[in-house]
Amino acid sequence: MAKVLMKGNEAIAEAAIKAGAKNYFCYPITPQTEVAEYLAKRMPEVGGVFLQGESELAVANMLFGAAATGKRVFTTSSSPGISLMQEAISYMAGAELPTVIVNIMRGGPGLGGILPAQSDYFQSVKGGGHGDYRLLVLAPSTIQEAVDLMMLSFHLADKYRNPVMMIGDGMIGQMMEPVEFPDKFEEDELPEKDWAITGAKGRKPKVAKSLFLDPHALEDNSWKLHAKYEEMKKHEIRFEKYKMSDKNEIMLVAYGTMARICQTAIDHLESEGISVGLFRPITLFPFPLQQIQDEAVKKNIKKVLVIEMSTAQMMEDVERAILGKKQIDFYGRTGGIVPSPEEVVNKIKGMVAKKAKSKKTAAKKTSKSKKKA
Amino acid sequence: MTKWKLPHITKPINIIVGGYGSGKSEVSVNLARTLVLDQDFKNRPISILDLDIVNPYFRSREASVELEKLGIEAINPEGSEYYADLPIILPQIKGVIQNAQGTVICDVGGDDVGARVLSSLETSFHRKSYDMFLVLNANRPFTSSVASTQKLIGEIESSSRLRFSGIISNSHLMDYTTADTIIDGIKLSEAVSKEINLPITCICAETKILDLMTKNKIKYPVLPLNRSLLKPWE
Repeated sequence: MAKVLMKGNEAIAEAAIKAGAKNYFCYPITPQTEVAEYLAKRMPEVGGVFLQGESELAVANMLFGAAATGKRVFTTSSSPGISLMQEAISYMAGAELPTVIVNIMRGGPGLGGILPAQSDYFQSVKGGGHGDYRLLVLAPSTIQEAVDLMMLSFHLADKYRNPVMMIGDGMIGQMMEPVEFPDKFEEDELPEKDWAITGAKGRKPKVAKSLFLDPHALEDNSWKLHAKYEEMKKHEIRFEKYKMSDKNEIMLVAYGTMARICQTAIDHLESEGISVGLFRPITLFPFPLQQIQDEAVKKNIKKVLVIEMSTAQMMEDVERAILGKKQIDFYGRTGGIVPSPEEVVNKIKGMVAKKAKSKKTAAKKTSKSKKKA
Repeated sequence: MTKWKLPHITKPINIIVGGYGSGKSEVSVNLARTLVLDQDFKNRPISILDLDIVNPYFRSREASVELEKLGIEAINPEGSEYYADLPIILPQIKGVIQNAQGTVICDVGGDDVGARVLSSLETSFHRKSYDMFLVLNANRPFTSSVASTQKLIGEIESSSRLRFSGIISNSHLMDYTTADTIIDGIKLSEAVSKEINLPITCICAETKILDLMTKNKIKYPVLPLNRSLLKPWE
């Protein structure tokens, strides 16, 4: 198919249709409302369902019901809306129902603002709802990647019978880029949905639920879920490296559009002779712990710098990856302020200058001590 | 100076509308910048009105500082309303339109939804004479054919209660734009123009693409674009 120019929100919507998801429930909220607007037009054209619920709570519970039928279902929202959906998300994880939820993040906490942010990392990755559960979390950095990951989300949701969340800061929803859609979404074979509730004619009834009053049954369910999350850690870790080499002095870790700002900063620094590489996690759960550590411990890396549009959330996972083996620094802006490439360049130059200075003082000290001797 | 013939702007009020993401804000900003440098408009005040009440980001108000430096008056919501995507019409807007001494460019939100704001200002527009232009990008999903574009034109005219005067052909694919993208876009604009008898006011393209094109390739006036509403990493 030829390239078309699309707003992130529209592209995400079209990608879902391409992946065969024709059941969409939503409640509008900036900066993701164009997904709903687009699907209100498109769903009738493809014989799908577009339904605006009376609230995010209603929407999330509609997802539960629709997912139980084994059809591909999804919703999109933004930060405060996603908070309202957490109860049902936990229920769907508990009942092992595949769903796709997209969070086009805006500044928080609370009602916050409508500008781009990455401050829902903890909510997405560490479980925004209650109970022992995880979401598989994907974070695109371009509109084309948002298309590809959106389609993949439906596959992964079915593969693991688990809700999948795709998160992007507001810019992923609002900016426009040329994208290409495949004529057909090619995916690996999936297990049959023998759990789907399709009407009990001629067979025993099935139940989709997350209520287990018997503690042994509940514990069994939680360990069963845990085993799936361990499988995700084995098979689903995704990441990308940019200009990583043995010349790098500093390694950046950033995700989503923040990573693109870092790339511009890296290109600029390269022209000034400062070598910096970027590690960009694409899956935030499972998080590329080992892969980050392997890069960070390399001799040439003096420091790791985590950059986020938050006050340091993914930072905690990078610390968990590096386990104190290298020094970690953080730079972040939040509340809808997007760091400019210049800010990133200045932060890195500051780190390099500091290091050079401390080297100098160390050299001075040694020469002094030599004199003393 | 550019080798291209610039669009002929004659009315005091110039309303820029079109589908979502057709490039209205970028066209508005560049039109203001071009007019302020145009000898014909010397000593005539140019102002730009941000009437986008549907988009939260990438609006012409983001170019205000740059435009004010050039002597263009930029009229935007102030204070925290600057950041809102609420249906706010500043009280001074009607005054600006009615008392306009020079040329006013109105940058409006996308589709019929964004153009609805115009209907509340309809009487002001009629008191002064206006031109309303359709910004058309053939690479956008809902304006890729004559039929879908015609549908959008009808919807915008009905929600704005105003009539179109011309088409601004603005086909592009951002960084993937080639001369062919521009030419293919002109073909759609011509087909629409013929179907509903609406003239093509001008063609838009980034200067770096125009530099690659010869003058005889385009028989319409040209508005060269220098992008102002950039992504943070651009």
